[in-house]
Amino acid sequence: MLKMNHLSKVYRTEVVETYALRDFNIDVKEGEFVAVTGPSGSGKTTFLTIAGLLETFSGGEYYLDGIEVSNLNDNARSKIRNEKIGFIFQAFNLIPDLNVYDNIEVPLRYRGMKTAERKQRIMDALERVGLSSRARHYPAELSGGQQQRVAIARALAGSPRLLLADEPTGNLDTQMARGVLELIEDIHRGGATIVMVTHDPELAARAQRNVHIIDGQVVDLAEEPRFHAHAAEAAHEYR
Amino acid sequence: MQIQPVLAALGRHRLATVLIALEIALACAVLCNACFLIASRWQLTRINSGVDESSLAALKLTGYDDAKADDLNARVLSGLRMIPGMQSVSVINAVPFGEHAATAGITLDAAGQHFGAVVDFYVAGPGSFQALGLRLVAGRAPQADDYQPVHSFVPDDASVLVTRALAEHLWPGSDPLGKEFWVDKFHFRVAGVVAHLARPGGGEGGPGKIEWSVFVPGQPGQQLAGVYLLRAKPAQLPRVLRDARAAIARIAPDAVVDSQASRTLGDLRQRYFQQDRAMAGMLLGVIAALLLVTALGIVGLASFWVQQRRRQIGIRRALGATRRDILHYFQTENFLIVTGGIALGMLLAFGLNLFLMKHYELLRLPLYYLPIGAIALWLLGQLAVLGPALRAAAVPPVVATRSV
Repeated sequence: MLKMNHLSKVYRTEVVETYALRDFNIDVKEGEFVAVTGPSGSGKTTFLTIAGLLETFSGGEYYLDGIEVSNLNDNARSKIRNEKIGFIFQAFNLIPDLNVYDNIEVPLRYRGMKTAERKQRIMDALERVGLSSRARHYPAELSGGQQQRVAIARALAGSPRLLLADEPTGNLDTQMARGVLELIEDIHRGGATIVMVTHDPELAARAQRNVHIIDGQVVDLAEEPRFHAHAAEAAHEYR
Repeated sequence: MQIQPVLAALGRHRLATVLIALEIALACAVLCNACFLIASRWQLTRINSGVDESSLAALKLTGYDDAKADDLNARVLSGLRMIPGMQSVSVINAVPFGEHAATAGITLDAAGQHFGAVVDFYVAGPGSFQALGLRLVAGRAPQADDYQPVHSFVPDDASVLVTRALAEHLWPGSDPLGKEFWVDKFHFRVAGVVAHLARPGGGEGGPGKIEWSVFVPGQPGQQLAGVYLLRAKPAQLPRVLRDARAAIARIAPDAVVDSQASRTLGDLRQRYFQQDRAMAGMLLGVIAALLLVTALGIVGLASFWVQQRRRQIGIRRALGATRRDILHYFQTENFLIVTGGIALGMLLAFGLNLFLMKHYELLRLPLYYLPIGAIALWLLGQLAVLGPALRAAAVPPVVATRSV
């Protein structure tokens, strides 16, 4: 589903070149739930923005659903984002001027979907995240957990094949975080591929596979026993 | 166009939206009325005088002894005809774009009960009809015995020519030839109709009355003296007029040339409408300033909103919006605000027009000015928002992942 070979991302200024990702390799199979972990500044979010076609990369190859994306133009990248990828952000990223219903409708409109189908999908998604009664509420009128569930509903409504989550529970308390994680797992059971960036080992332990990034490169988890043990313990606690 | 979500988002920014819509409404009202004023003035400056303006000049003398008017006429006519290039010299009481000489209300019956119109009389001596180059459309040109003595401001009884516009006003649908009209005891019968002959001045009384004039043949004399119509080839006319003014010192030392009134008709027209052109220019300036201020208002608000919504734009891009979608979003938003402003502006335009009609004798604003004003403001809005909208479209999707 998602394969990166020797990928690099360099930020250049007049005086310095900074590698956010260097010789980065990853292969996420269709239907997998992968957690990407690593310390702050390791390149997790850069990886996610490139994986979500939000940003271009400097070198290497990236295949998304079998398509080499480096040569795609802006419109083609937008189309793939809209049709194949769902995003869940740490800061929820809802549009404050639009109510819940209109927020979920945004990507569906860009897809050119008919009104009736949009409505059906939106109501189904809201039902699934338990917010049917809040369709006309504005983001500012909802709690953090509810806002994140709206963001999940927005991703769900588009039936994405790849769901990219960036610290999805980072701004939530434990109880709300649990609810959000259950929803993500539910989406995974529905067949979607999930790539979740987190620095939280407890959350990472819920994934099928963990990928650890340090200094812009994927490292072998077997060489990080302390992290591995801690993660397993945390996962047990979370359940 | 995605109107509903744009409207929904605008609903969250009511104050700014209403303020900019009000600015557009004001611009619409002023734009429509100012354009109408300019067009009216412009139309007025282009009136058809009905005479060969390029070949004609007027020469006006003052200060002479009225008792010697016959002698003055004789000296001037014979003296000026000697000037090389002069095609004709005749006596007339007034010329188009010159001063009014004989304006009066006419009646269609001798008893003075049936009012016809207020008209201007061109009382003119032999040769003037041909010199003016008037186009006859019915009846006959003045004959030698039509030139009657002028005892007062017009002959007591005269065969005259009226303009087609005046004939249609006085006797709509009937043949004007042979019809009679009166000014108190003075009696006139229509012997001919000319296509056009603008009143002296330049169209006072409104566009419909510009050609309410009567050509009256008259014998030069004490009551018809001092104003002379000169005709020459257009290329020679300025020189002929200069020579004529110089010659007066020799042939009529007892008279003074009125320099303001002694000009070519082209010059008289130019000077007559000078104020109208200045006013049109000033209104154009007002329109330009108003449109500039409106455009700057739109640019300012749109730029502010683009800056304010940078992250939101990034989110939309992340969710699949193309650059064109973002561009269209801001263009649609602008279109909706401007449309609201125009709707209100049209009502204001009518209100302003009613005010101007009441206080400044302006005509009713024709309806077609409203769509013209609307299109101009829609275009202005789209042009003004283009820069900020392009900046919005350039916001990369990765902005969605950055914290504010």
